Amino acid sequence: MQFALPPRKGPVAHPYARSSFLTLHRRKQLTAIAVLSVALLAVFFLLSQLFYSSAGAAVISIGTPSVVIVTVLDRILYSDKYLQKIIRNREDYAERHGYTNFFANLTDYNSYIGHAPQSWGVVPAVRHAMATHPSSTYFFHLDPHAIFMAPSKSLQSHILSKHRLETLMRRDVPVVPPDSIIKTFSHLRHEDIDLMVTTDAKGLNTGSFVLRQGDFARFLLDTWFDPLFRSYNFAKAETHTLEHVVQWHPTVLARLALIPQRVINAYSPDSIGAAVDGTYKDGDLIIRFFGCNTDPKRNCERELDPYYNLWAKKLKLE
Amino acid sequence: MSLTRSPSPRPEGGWSSPGLTPGSGSSTPRGGLYPTSPSDPWLAAKAKSDEVRGYPSFSTRNNGFFSRSKRQIKATLPRFRASARSPKGYSEKDGFPHGHGRGWRSLWFGRTVLRRRRARLFLALILLVLGYLCFSTLLVQLFRRSGFGGGRKFVIILESNVEGGVMEWKGAREWAIERNSISDKTDYAKTWGYELEVVNMLAKKRYSHEWREGWEKVDILRETMRKYPDAEWFWWLDLTTYVMEHSYSLQDHIFNRLDEIVYRDINEYNPLNITHPLIQPYLDEVSRSADGDKDPSSIHFLLSQDCGGFNLGSFFIHRSLWSERLLDIWWDPIMYEQRHMQWEHKEQDALEYLYTTQPWVRSSLAFVPQRYINSFPPGACGDELDPKIHYTVGGRDFLVNMAGCDYGRDCWDEMYQYREYSKWLNRTIWGRLHDSILDLYYALIGEDKRPQAEAEAD
Repeated sequence: MQFALPPRKGPVAHPYARSSFLTLHRRKQLTAIAVLSVALLAVFFLLSQLFYSSAGAAVISIGTPSVVIVTVLDRILYSDKYLQKIIRNREDYAERHGYTNFFANLTDYNSYIGHAPQSWGVVPAVRHAMATHPSSTYFFHLDPHAIFMAPSKSLQSHILSKHRLETLMRRDVPVVPPDSIIKTFSHLRHEDIDLMVTTDAKGLNTGSFVLRQGDFARFLLDTWFDPLFRSYNFAKAETHTLEHVVQWHPTVLARLALIPQRVINAYSPDSIGAAVDGTYKDGDLIIRFFGCNTDPKRNCERELDPYYNLWAKKLKLE
Repeated sequence: MSLTRSPSPRPEGGWSSPGLTPGSGSSTPRGGLYPTSPSDPWLAAKAKSDEVRGYPSFSTRNNGFFSRSKRQIKATLPRFRASARSPKGYSEKDGFPHGHGRGWRSLWFGRTVLRRRRARLFLALILLVLGYLCFSTLLVQLFRRSGFGGGRKFVIILESNVEGGVMEWKGAREWAIERNSISDKTDYAKTWGYELEVVNMLAKKRYSHEWREGWEKVDILRETMRKYPDAEWFWWLDLTTYVMEHSYSLQDHIFNRLDEIVYRDINEYNPLNITHPLIQPYLDEVSRSADGDKDPSSIHFLLSQDCGGFNLGSFFIHRSLWSERLLDIWWDPIMYEQRHMQWEHKEQDALEYLYTTQPWVRSSLAFVPQRYINSFPPGACGDELDPKIHYTVGGRDFLVNMAGCDYGRDCWDEMYQYREYSKWLNRTIWGRLHDSILDLYYALIGEDKRPQAEAEAD
């Protein structure tokens, strides 16, 4: 019957018969199902993330010091009185800012250093500090012949914060002054930096540097301490080795920030070899009696005293 | 029901007046009404008077065969014009719901479409099946190459042209080795969607000048990592290697079961007698533990050891910061200056040295038993057969490395034999059937004549 009128379906028949099975009701149902499943998936995802992170991340206890100050003490060569002054100065500084100290004995590492100079002890000492404080972030190695003169300055605000470090970083300058063809990268940001070190007039100086704990630190310290470098008879042992490593291996250079000397490594007026504007001025964080231990004419204990008294007086005034 | 006014004519000649339908009590008012009418005088009279009154709508109905079958004829004609013309002008003027007539036509149209669609679907299905039968291998390979298949995570780096050009001319046998080795890797990479990078190891003046012969590997690895930014694992292969089992994927064979097959504690097999684990008290726990952090995701370098220590004929390196550092430190002028007389195997010995002296290297380096990635042919590594080292018949080892074949052995001969054996091992069902029938035939005859390749391999 070709002339049949269509059976009535309702006031408005759907224009396309094919899609009639997708009625309004059905569509509503489908929407509801879709919304529900998306919500369920989201909940599962969030839960899994929550449990994953709680299981995977190492638990860092509250009160873990963010900075560890590493000092290698030579208890044979220096009097206990002298060393106690240095220890007291550093303990006070650490206490103010919630840091902690790691005092290492040079003799502990003698057997690992072998025939190389004793000054190599700094490398295993920093590694040792990292193993002892596995959840601390920054490790500040400071030569024993140095004291904090401005105890109220925290390392965070003084160098470690993002803004401060990015303004301090010396970009595109020779790693070894004055004319090394290897220059620091100019595009590095705060996140890239694992090692903060200063240069004096002669070159990199390892008496005062900050190293961030992590894979890079392990790589750097292990490479630095390689027996073939120790046996190479560099004139300045570990200092020249670091210069060599930085200049020959771009993966190290890419993690390094050169900062102005006075920030963490100001030399006392008696010291020789400070960079331009590298000599201590009143208000600097640290004074270092660089070379007092190697120059037979100088005496570390005598040089320390006036500055130590100044610091002690400041402490009493507060 | 009476008509107060003439229903508008429909383009195809039908009535679209819904008001008439219920009155007639039938869904086919016109056709159903008329045949009963000759016997009904009242209806006949009504029709007559209608005609007289000149209602065009009624008069057209009974005008003989053509007018009666007009709609039927028209219905069989194509309806393009009908659908093209707007139905609105009529139906809205008439006060009928405008979707009605259109819906009816669309239903008919829709059904045709459905039928056609089903046919098309069927055709498409047939084509799909045919296409799958013809191109399934290609499709599988395409999938493996794509982002989902994960093939692009692996790059095979094959050295070629070893010291060619400078040291000596390549003879026919050297060319044959190179051709076979490259085509073997090409096929394997194509099967699994991996990338293949054939690198030229031409002796360069640059390296001899800088005393760095042997460390080209390091530069090549870095260049290749830059060239394939999506890849994760880079597989270095010496030229004299042969992939015996093309059906093994790197994922299934190694990387999906890393935690089961690798060993990090070198004491498991320690031909160099390296002291392990480290005991220095200043090291962290991971560096002092025998098997690192035990997490397979921290493995960035995977190699095997032969009887003489580390073997870099076939190894994997993972793209990571750790690898960048290793590649960076692998060659150092001061280390090289002091050791180059002792480092007979150049970069291989340098790696052994770094592993021995620098704890950070140990924590991301893992070993895999040699026969997983680097089986040796008999003759390499001593004369007696060691099941840890040597390819054994029936073991279905993944890869053969004809290490040291250019020292008193015949590289081309070995490669030819392994190629034939690999072909025979992986022959098709028809090949197997053919062989077993042959076997049966020879068994019946009483001769012992097995396929050549098998006999050769024994």
